[in-house]
Amino acid sequence: MSHPLQAAGIKFLKILAKHSDVIMKAYLSGRVNELDFDAKVLEKLTEHGVLWRPEPGEDLRLRSSIRGLLENNLRDERNRQLDANIGTKLALIKTVTSHYKEALHHQNYAEAEVYIEDLTEHVYGLVDSLKSNVRNLWRRIHNEFGYVASINAKIRENELAQSQLTEMRKQLEMFQFDELATIAGTSRELRRLLVVQLQRSHSEISQELSIAQSKLIDLLGKFRQYLHRYQLLKGFVLHAQQKPDYQVKDYSAKHNVPSLFNHAKAIIKPASIDVNNIEHERLFAEVVSHIKEIRHANVGVKDKRQAQGFEINDIEQIDIESDLIKQNVESYFCQVIDSGQGMSALEYHQQNKLTLDKEVWVYGVINGYQGLSSEEQDFFEIGTEGHVHPQFNGNYIIEDVELGLR
Amino acid sequence: MISLKGQVMETLLSGGFICKTSDELAFSFLQNTENFASVEQQLNLMNRTIANANDGTVLFCAYQGIGDDERKVVNSQFREITASLLPLIEWLVLVQEAKGDNSPLSEGKVVRLNELQSVIEDTPAFSEQLTKISRYSLFNSSSSAVDAQLKLIFKRLLELGYLLKPNPDNQIFVATGKVDYLFEVIRFIDESENLNLAEQAEEAIKQGDLL
Repeated sequence: MSHPLQAAGIKFLKILAKHSDVIMKAYLSGRVNELDFDAKVLEKLTEHGVLWRPEPGEDLRLRSSIRGLLENNLRDERNRQLDANIGTKLALIKTVTSHYKEALHHQNYAEAEVYIEDLTEHVYGLVDSLKSNVRNLWRRIHNEFGYVASINAKIRENELAQSQLTEMRKQLEMFQFDELATIAGTSRELRRLLVVQLQRSHSEISQELSIAQSKLIDLLGKFRQYLHRYQLLKGFVLHAQQKPDYQVKDYSAKHNVPSLFNHAKAIIKPASIDVNNIEHERLFAEVVSHIKEIRHANVGVKDKRQAQGFEINDIEQIDIESDLIKQNVESYFCQVIDSGQGMSALEYHQQNKLTLDKEVWVYGVINGYQGLSSEEQDFFEIGTEGHVHPQFNGNYIIEDVELGLR
Repeated sequence: MISLKGQVMETLLSGGFICKTSDELAFSFLQNTENFASVEQQLNLMNRTIANANDGTVLFCAYQGIGDDERKVVNSQFREITASLLPLIEWLVLVQEAKGDNSPLSEGKVVRLNELQSVIEDTPAFSEQLTKISRYSLFNSSSSAVDAQLKLIFKRLLELGYLLKPNPDNQIFVATGKVDYLFEVIRFIDESENLNLAEQAEEAIKQGDLL
């Protein structure tokens, strides 16, 4: 606020910056090795209240205020000290309130202004420290005390946190709002600070604390369970090592089988896809698409493709067996047209003493008729002769066809 | 397609374990008393009932009444469990120690094969232990490479239902409720045979500390 104070503060911060290596070493190791640093530097730091010597024979240590500053800024996980010294802070607040009221009474407004600012800072400081304690607690809960290695240490840490939490709740009980309300009196400013602000934070914090507490108890149970499980595992392995011929008793032979070992036989075997079920179609397609296609015929085709000559020749005459049938069918059709009278296929077959199989011949005639264009078909009329199959209904066996002109 | 109840029945009748991790839908289906009763009723027709382990977090199918035939089945399954007990326990210890984790593997916990592999490869004691475990007939590996041994063990554990692989492309595994069932079995054996396993372990750890 005043000029000399500002200068002193800047000087102090400069000292901190200049000797940051000493401070950080002290912070990390907990103490200063006096042989490592210049005695003058250490003396200067002690003089400015950065370092201190708890007992004449002891090592130099970092002041708790500096340590607290660093822990706060670095969000150091090791920062596990809960500052719950609320009683003194409350007392301080009450004192400053009295100063403020007195200054107001003497109509010394400038002084009163300073006091109310001071008071505001104290109140917010108190709330902030409470909140940061709770946050700190939560941080430890969230990483499940990850900063210590063994599960036993976690259990101890949990117990420590629980005791700190109980302590905090006890301290919270020291807030007596009726008293604070009386102190604040009718002043609006004071009521806002001492009653509204504090009360709101108080209820918030105590709510959070009770959640934290249940969480801690939960965690403790979990840790104990882990520990027990690990011990069981380890114990079993040890047991098996010490007694290699150890056999688990046959619990299944007992009259009452323990429910743990009462395992019913699996009676459903894996089902397969129904190819006729539309719903399974997609799955089926998927399965099919995963089938690897192997074409042995293609193996080695590549080198055959290279440098292979080919010739272009006239298309050779191919004798197709059906040619004979076709010619005969044509002449049969012609004879029908020429004679103008109907004639059955088998009759023609007999007349011309064809060598073709009768069945093939009849089929060839039907085929020949069907092969005509519809205009040509209109000239002819084809009738079938045959009989119904004795056993199967509706099956008609064609023995012969008769072709005639319309 | 098949109804949820049908799926639950199918899992139970095919000898599967239902837990929140392996099948959350089926598990929550059975948490409903009405659904539970209707499944139970149908199972009862087949002389079966729903049994649970680890305070109801793992469900499986058990016989309602045990006659001679059922006893044979129960007996053979018991032998299967006890035969695989030691390899599985040793594997659990290895995983826990290699992960540097304080908590043993349990339902819903994740194991990353690659991380485990790099730790085991870097630590001769772990790789020796792994070789020992992979030689058990349960896993039956003849390989000497950490990579192959681990893959085989994980494959077997997937088949046996102790682990799940949510994403086929990633080597990340999730433990199922069957692991918790295994703990129940050990706890049961410990209690009924008065083995004092926990005390033995504590004693050994203390002696180790002294050394």
